[in-house]
Amino acid sequence: MKKFILLLTVSLLLVLSMVGCAKPVDNAPRKVTLKVFMTFPRFQEQFEDYFEQFKVKMLAEKNIDVTIDLEMPTSDQAAQILKARLSTNDAPDLFTLHAIADIPDFYKAGYLSDLSGQPFVGELLENVKDIVTYDGKVVALPLESLAWGYLYNKDIFAKYDLEAPQTITEMLNVVTVLKENGETPFLLAFQESWIPQLMTALAIGGVVTSENPTFIDKMNNKQASYQDIAKIFDIIDIIMANGTDKPFEVGNAAASADFAAGKAAMWVQGTWQAQAILDINPNINIGTAPLPVSDNINGTLINLSVSTSLAVSPTSKNKDVALDLLNYILDKQASSKLFEELKFNPVAKFHTYETFPWSDEAMSYVALGRGYRDLSLPGAVTGEQAKLLQSYYAKTVTKAQFIETIDEVWANSLGQ
Amino acid sequence: MKMKTWINLLILFLLIIYSIFSLSPIILAIINSGKTQGEILTNILALPESFKFSNYVVAFEKIKFLRSFFNTLLVVVIGCGGIVLFSSVAGYKLARVKTKLSNFYYSLFVFSMLIPFHSIMISLVRIARVTNLQGSLVGLGIIYIGLGVPMAIFLYTGFIRSIPIELDEAARIDGCSDLRLFFSIIFPQLKPITVTIIITNALWMWNDFLLPLLMLPNSKNYTILLSTNMLFGQYGNNDWPAILSVLIMAMLPAVVFYMILQKSILKGISEGALKQ
Amino acid sequence: MKNKNRNLTLFILPALLFYAIFTLAPAFGGIWYSFTNWNGLNPNYELIGFRNYELLLKDKNFINSIWFTMRFVGIMVVLQNVIALFLALLIETRIKTKTMFRTLVFMPNMISMIIGGFMWMFIFTRALPYIANALNIAALNISWIGDPTFSFIAIIIVSLWGGVGYLMIIYMAALQGVAKNLKEAAMIDGANAWQVFRNITIPSIMPAITIGIFVTLNNSFKVFDVVYSLTGGGPGRSTQVIALNIFEEAYSMNNRFGYASAKSLILFLIIFVITLIQLGIMRRKEIN
Repeated sequence: MKKFILLLTVSLLLVLSMVGCAKPVDNAPRKVTLKVFMTFPRFQEQFEDYFEQFKVKMLAEKNIDVTIDLEMPTSDQAAQILKARLSTNDAPDLFTLHAIADIPDFYKAGYLSDLSGQPFVGELLENVKDIVTYDGKVVALPLESLAWGYLYNKDIFAKYDLEAPQTITEMLNVVTVLKENGETPFLLAFQESWIPQLMTALAIGGVVTSENPTFIDKMNNKQASYQDIAKIFDIIDIIMANGTDKPFEVGNAAASADFAAGKAAMWVQGTWQAQAILDINPNINIGTAPLPVSDNINGTLINLSVSTSLAVSPTSKNKDVALDLLNYILDKQASSKLFEELKFNPVAKFHTYETFPWSDEAMSYVALGRGYRDLSLPGAVTGEQAKLLQSYYAKTVTKAQFIETIDEVWANSLGQ
Repeated sequence: MKMKTWINLLILFLLIIYSIFSLSPIILAIINSGKTQGEILTNILALPESFKFSNYVVAFEKIKFLRSFFNTLLVVVIGCGGIVLFSSVAGYKLARVKTKLSNFYYSLFVFSMLIPFHSIMISLVRIARVTNLQGSLVGLGIIYIGLGVPMAIFLYTGFIRSIPIELDEAARIDGCSDLRLFFSIIFPQLKPITVTIIITNALWMWNDFLLPLLMLPNSKNYTILLSTNMLFGQYGNNDWPAILSVLIMAMLPAVVFYMILQKSILKGISEGALKQ
Repeated sequence: MKNKNRNLTLFILPALLFYAIFTLAPAFGGIWYSFTNWNGLNPNYELIGFRNYELLLKDKNFINSIWFTMRFVGIMVVLQNVIALFLALLIETRIKTKTMFRTLVFMPNMISMIIGGFMWMFIFTRALPYIANALNIAALNISWIGDPTFSFIAIIIVSLWGGVGYLMIIYMAALQGVAKNLKEAAMIDGANAWQVFRNITIPSIMPAITIGIFVTLNNSFKVFDVVYSLTGGGPGRSTQVIALNIFEEAYSMNNRFGYASAKSLILFLIIFVITLIQLGIMRRKEIN
């Protein structure tokens, strides 16, 4: 027994002295805490792991002991929390934002650092770089770049020998064939209002890009009305009239399960949801295609957007380390693995990992020039459209009221 | 006589019907929380073939039950402690001192009982940010003190008025200081109303949703309700076995509390309300 | 006198401090912000006079939310009090089962309406459609959450489920205070049960009825949790109550904090006026 205690004491002393040797007191690492605010609760683990790598790297290379305070609120609360924090001078060192919707406002309010000189900028793909550039400056690092239309069940389409429709007439044919065979053409999931809003996003994108390219500018100058693009309702009406029952009881999770089970042939939902569907039914073949808005094929377009980007606060107390972390997100060695794991599309030239069939399908349209850059609508308008579409389906709002309300909301958003 | 039996049966029948209505969500939730997804689809009303406690194990993990529980408890303890301490002292003086100033203070407190939370919400969040209380459980407890004192002062003042003033005077002859007099003589007399105040406030804070939602952005600090709400957002009307087991767990503390303290709770509630 | 007041202030100070910072200050802050164009994002804002209030008059969503809330309040005040009083009367007739029924009816009141709303969502979207299919009753197989009319009914049902127990406890306490000998004397005089109830019970529990209506009015105008968890105000905004409209204005869509403050002040005024009117009427009745 005595011997054992002796042994224990000796070994303990030994360990202690070794630890003491490894970290000489005079060269203690600089301690830095970074606050990182991200809206990817589903990827929390992946980012935490990635940040661990970063910590190790910083300690080894720069002798900085980084602590990362990662905050991942759910996406419906994130905007509110972030805005509150920014406006009270309590900005996180790094935070995610929606490139197209948020950059203009945030830039004007002075919440974004100019990142143009950062190493990662040179590596960005050109079409991606455009989206995070504002006022001639790169102000955010693109994370999730998307090329999306609607999802369709390739197995159901193949069964009836159908192809993804390219015009609204073709779409009507597809709908007829599907219904004759007892299939439901569209999955409707309206419980969470952002999902129906995707229909408006695509329909407006197609109509505006192909027929009315100055529409957004004109709206911003109060010289236009949604009446001018009332055509968007053609496809929306088709979808709503040929969809699944009780859409207000179906949220995103339930809809993914339904789509995986083959309850409908098409779902207006982005490629980001494809993996979740595959997780439920690994045998399903998912395709993605542009949504037709008329018989003009030039309006049948894939939406290209960087929806979530990472920015650095100009008020960060440890901006050097914050910028190191930012650049590490697009590190030549480490980032490919992260982006592949997260199923994000490539944003940098050195991202050469294999992509998914649905992404490839979307990109094949883009290669033909059938893609458009996501439109920049005021945030209030997007939110209002989402709510109004729900009401439109529930028949508490008519088409005319829809148009009138959106015109008003758009005008109000200019007034501030 | 026959008529009376019929009426008797009718009353019993109505009460049973209402009790079923009252309990049905809970019972359905319990039954279905032990099923698989498939079982829920085939028969919602049947008992599960074998009760899957594993659903609860998963739920326990998912909403970080222990952490959420103690987060909520901390807020309630700080809130109730502060409210009882500060309101009893204030109520005592308001009841005993009869001056214009005393009347003014009293009306100042009572007036705010009409202000709905939503009317102060926006500025309150800003104040919480400025004072660095947002994001902290202690901070949330402190805010509850500020929101809860008016009602408690109102109840304490009313109660203390019914305690004979001779008690104070007898003690004063013994040379007690005001504060010592209060805590040694008066406060013990206030036990019934203190229990009422603790119960009503604890229930309010335990079941409050909006203020924690605005005050606690970080999931580390989530209360039980916030964790539940977040989980529902993830599973949204789909994975019901998981959701229902979370719901049952989330309501368990309040239900157990009710079962143990039923008498005091019901008494507290009816007294608290009737004194308004 | 001065000494007395100083002593008083000393005792009140801690409570007053917390109260001033977290209730009074934000209350006045809300009034102040309601005259500004503070939008939450921009740290700067300016005074814009009554502009927000002018906007309110034209804000269809806000006005709709007021009407919707009014309808909700109207139905709740009647149903919740009638059902609660009725149950209290019934339970008071029980001897052995009194405690049991009281426990069961009150139980939902202990549960947060967020949890209650989620549990009822299961009933409305899963259990009722299942029962409808099994028994072939088409009338039950409706979209409780997706149709504006039925969503309204769903919200009422869940609110009653959660709220009736509370009032029932108040009414039971009041009923116990009704003098037995009065009732018995009336019975001997040949009065029937209804007459006794109408002429003896109701007048003696009038204070409790005042409280019951006061409590329902107050809580129903502020209703939030149940709508948030059950319908989220949807479909669209068809079940959006005032509290939810304010919340949406401030935190989920526009972040127009100044404008939302103006809305919240209107909510305060509505509650204030209605409470005063109601208290006035009830007081007069009690005196008579």
